Amino acid sequence: MKNQVIIASILLSGISFGQIDRSVRPTPAQAKKIELKDSEVFTTANGITVILSENHKLPRVSFDLSMGSDSKIEGEKAGLSDMVGALIMSGTSNRTKDELDKEIDFIGASLSADRNAISLSCLTKHMDKGLTLMKDVLLNTSFPESEFARIKKQNEDALLSAKSDAGTMAQNATVKVNFPGHPYSDVMNETTLKNISREDVINYYKSNFTPDGAYLVVVGDINRAQAEEMASKYLGDWKGGKKYVATFPEAAMPEGNQVTFVKKRGAVQSVVYVTFPVNMKTGDVNQLPSTVLNGILGGGGFGTRLMQNLREDKAYTYGCYSSMNITEYGSWMSAGGNFRNAVTDSAITQILKEFELITTEIVKDEEINLTKASQAGGFARSLESPSTIARFALNTIRYNLPKDYYQNYLQKLEAVSKDDILSMSKKYFTASNCNIIVVGNEEILDKIKQFDSDGKVTILDEFGNTYIDITPADISKEQLISNYLLAVTKSASMKELNKKLKKIKSVERVSEMSGSQMPMTLKFFNYYIAPTTEATALEFQGNKMPLTFFDGKSGYTSAPMASKKDMTAEEIAKKKKDAGLFQEMNYITHKVNYSLEGIQNENDVEYYVIKIVDGETESYDYYNRKTFMKEKSLTITKEGDKTNESTQVYSDFKEVNGILFPHTLSMNMGPMILSGQVTKVEVNGKPDMKIFKK
Amino acid sequence: MRKLLLLGMTLSISSWMLAQQKINYVEYDLPNGIHVILHEEHATPIVAVSVLYHVGSKNEISDRTGFAHFFEHLLFEGSVNIERGEYSKLVEKNGGTLNANTSQDRTFYYEILPSNQLELGLWLESERMLHAKVDIKGIETQRSVVKEEKRQRVDNQPYGSFFTEMFKRVFPVHPYNWAPIGSMEHLDAAQEDDYVNFYKNYYVPCNATLSIAGDLNIEQTKKWIDKYFGSMPKGEAVNLYRDFINLDEDSFQKRYAISKSKFYQKDFLKSTDSEAKKLIAAYSAKQIVIKRTSKDNSTLKAMTKDVIEDNIELPGIFMGYKFPEQTNPDAYALEMMNEVLSGGSSSRINKTIVEKKQMASFAFSFNYSLEDAGIGIFAAIASKDIALDDIQKEFDIQIETIKQELISEEEFQKIRNKVENNLVSANSSIAGIAENLADSHVYFGNANRVNSLMENYMKVTREDIQRVAKKYLTQDARVILHYVPKAK
Repeated sequence: MKNQVIIASILLSGISFGQIDRSVRPTPAQAKKIELKDSEVFTTANGITVILSENHKLPRVSFDLSMGSDSKIEGEKAGLSDMVGALIMSGTSNRTKDELDKEIDFIGASLSADRNAISLSCLTKHMDKGLTLMKDVLLNTSFPESEFARIKKQNEDALLSAKSDAGTMAQNATVKVNFPGHPYSDVMNETTLKNISREDVINYYKSNFTPDGAYLVVVGDINRAQAEEMASKYLGDWKGGKKYVATFPEAAMPEGNQVTFVKKRGAVQSVVYVTFPVNMKTGDVNQLPSTVLNGILGGGGFGTRLMQNLREDKAYTYGCYSSMNITEYGSWMSAGGNFRNAVTDSAITQILKEFELITTEIVKDEEINLTKASQAGGFARSLESPSTIARFALNTIRYNLPKDYYQNYLQKLEAVSKDDILSMSKKYFTASNCNIIVVGNEEILDKIKQFDSDGKVTILDEFGNTYIDITPADISKEQLISNYLLAVTKSASMKELNKKLKKIKSVERVSEMSGSQMPMTLKFFNYYIAPTTEATALEFQGNKMPLTFFDGKSGYTSAPMASKKDMTAEEIAKKKKDAGLFQEMNYITHKVNYSLEGIQNENDVEYYVIKIVDGETESYDYYNRKTFMKEKSLTITKEGDKTNESTQVYSDFKEVNGILFPHTLSMNMGPMILSGQVTKVEVNGKPDMKIFKK
Repeated sequence: MRKLLLLGMTLSISSWMLAQQKINYVEYDLPNGIHVILHEEHATPIVAVSVLYHVGSKNEISDRTGFAHFFEHLLFEGSVNIERGEYSKLVEKNGGTLNANTSQDRTFYYEILPSNQLELGLWLESERMLHAKVDIKGIETQRSVVKEEKRQRVDNQPYGSFFTEMFKRVFPVHPYNWAPIGSMEHLDAAQEDDYVNFYKNYYVPCNATLSIAGDLNIEQTKKWIDKYFGSMPKGEAVNLYRDFINLDEDSFQKRYAISKSKFYQKDFLKSTDSEAKKLIAAYSAKQIVIKRTSKDNSTLKAMTKDVIEDNIELPGIFMGYKFPEQTNPDAYALEMMNEVLSGGSSSRINKTIVEKKQMASFAFSFNYSLEDAGIGIFAAIASKDIALDDIQKEFDIQIETIKQELISEEEFQKIRNKVENNLVSANSSIAGIAENLADSHVYFGNANRVNSLMENYMKVTREDIQRVAKKYLTQDARVILHYVPKAK
């Protein structure tokens, strides 16, 4: 019996299985031609461009209405547009939020909004009801006070949560270092959130949500006639102003490699991004070849250089990717991943090595073929989603692409050569002008310093702003000020100090400053005449021009080639508070509002930080904890929605007539940086003050 | 009024029927036990090839956890005919994409390829199934990668450990006790043999479902399937073959009392030596018995409340209830109950806890349904200065309400509409269809379940929802976890 079973199965196995040589790999069948269905495009009477992509596979339809306005810098109100997005669905003049939510859910639809768009997706049979709700939101959203308060509070909580999310922290730091002074670097924090009012939200919505330049993308189980009918029925009476148009400066490359660190307590891994801005915009002819370049380096898949090196070979990470982000307003390259603490530095070394390699050596046939094939495959797969065709049409219109851009996409992709890749990397890539962002445990900080060209790691907080780590001070503010005054005048007692200062009748200082944005060296003159006269001048084309003058009672400011402007009463009051050789002398007599914030560590030096508040102006003075010398002042002034921040750094203190004067200075006003030497300090000389005569 | 409502109901039922698109497919078994499901559609020239192995973390032994997931990684390392690191490259350079995932119940691999590369996809999956590279080099590399994955997804993720902590308490006995990511110590302690044995036990034809969807020709596809999968040894012969490939002569002789030279290297099953033939036949006849776990019908006996410290800023609360297995008839009613509680902005939990009382920035519930049992989870991240106990009270009010009061006709209609919308969207991609068909076959023994889902949901009544709420939301037998910020 048993034998029979065996024989039977031998026979069976002989019959069922054909000869097969598994080492022979299958060859592909004839490739199918990728066919791109056309979208239809038409314009409504009120200026909306409608893009329709029909697809009747499933009985559902979507309407995406997006606005044509450009981004705005939000600055002091960073996060405003996010608040708008979160509040659009908070109720209308016809429906409370509860009613709206219920009606949307009742038809199983999704109706959502963000800062720039309102989108509906539902089964075709519920289309009319869905659009009725969409129209109500678009035209009648009412931003109720209570919802505004609720969303604001929710954002406060979200900001707290963001503080424990390393990925968010890394993104915040990335936009801040890559895009200063650009809408991309608007990151909401506790302060900017506080600054946002309900009126701001309403105004933003009104100016941004307007039919001028808007796009309506319709996808799914609907035909042209229906789409036209829906667009006119539900959006026909939508009115609004002109769209907002703006341009933004190109982002500058960092000087050398700059390391930026954000502390995350208890982190077992670091989030690392090696990133730099790319001077390119959507629709650029180089966009496609540079996407192939990114694909070879680390743009997805397991076969990329970064993935093979850092995951498959070294096992530093679960995934290491790069991305080339080409957008309308600004572009950037970024590569990185999550790496355990012990290998964070090694991972950065490897990423930079890969950057270096791709800018110097031609890529291999195998790599470029793999990437091109993989991107062609991705293109084909993306066509499965009906929204892809519509997105192609939208991009073509929005970014002024050639009409046949997507029709020819695969041919153009195929034509990208190895030489193209090298010329792309030489043009856009760098391994020596990168921002290296690390979010992680403080224990790794020492190990990443080596990557910074000037050895100074910038430390940012969770939202990408300057990190202030303050510990309580161990002396009082009065003690600190007196210690400073004694130190700077090299006096042993207040008595000696007063005696010394009395002897000073005048001080003249000359400094020569230069900066990368300045074509020439600037020569500044700084005068002090006891007891309260102060003046500054600038040498301009060989002439000395007055900049400021104050004689204790009144004064003026002046700019080269411009007329003098007398100080206002307010400016005079302010000036009086810091008149004199050392403003600190006035703190008590003039009731200056100053406080000792604590001790702050910056680049391994400990400073006492004094904060002075005067109206809308805040300033911070940094006194070295060991020497008590004032080495830095930071002033933040507010002008409406904008804040201006300026920093002065003093060093190289030398004694002149028994008083220590800094001989190296640097000034930083927004993007402008000046630095230089003090070339002359003269005490009790005979300064010529003629040019300051009124 | 009542009549109108009834009319509305019948209307919506018939439109449901219209909304769900029927998924056509063919299915059959190969002699070696592989179950094949094919779905043909030509909208886009792509094809999804997937293999579901009915093995997940619940098949692990308690001192070797994390094995199933580890295997998911290991099986990208290559095979007898595919070099290390080449597997994914082969897919990508032919315009495809690939990935895999592991749950408590199954491991799922897939490729999505241009449709002219279907044969390649079949060959790749057959290589993985027949003779994957399970060796020390690959094990070492993937061990480190998996550790990084755990750091990234669990350890470095705020509240990231809640799944592990919850399952540990809701399933004290059943192997759902540990999470698929498992223990790194166990992976370190495991020897090469442990890995080889896991492969031999679970990665075998009779434990696999091959599900293919997309732009394919059924007849041609069947031929290729016969070629690459039909040719695989049956029963324990597959492991005899694997030993023939992997063991040296001495070890092979020791185990099988026959020399490797008796077998035909190029086509193992075609070995002509009579002894070899006999052995192959004997092993082919020997069925592989897959160790299955059993359903866990036990109930929690008491309330467990624990505090867990994490690197977070806002405290969070996570409550877990024991739910039945996914094939339980009550599963549909539980799913609809969850829609009432947490489906969409107008759901009860969102309306009360997040919007009205503003106690939490996020609050939701969801059902985690598995083969042997399930968990109902309620979770919230507290707003600033809100006590977790107060959030729990609010959850409890909602739970009490759904247990005590029948949901309104209107709310009932709403969740039915939502379910309909969800089901229409569930089969929008071919990869999704391949996966849904495979899941339905493996867990429900019926691939056609994908076409009767709507019907099953429509049978649920308001009374059913109340009944399952009463039955499963047991307030005195649940797990409550409080996540609190670690002391700074």
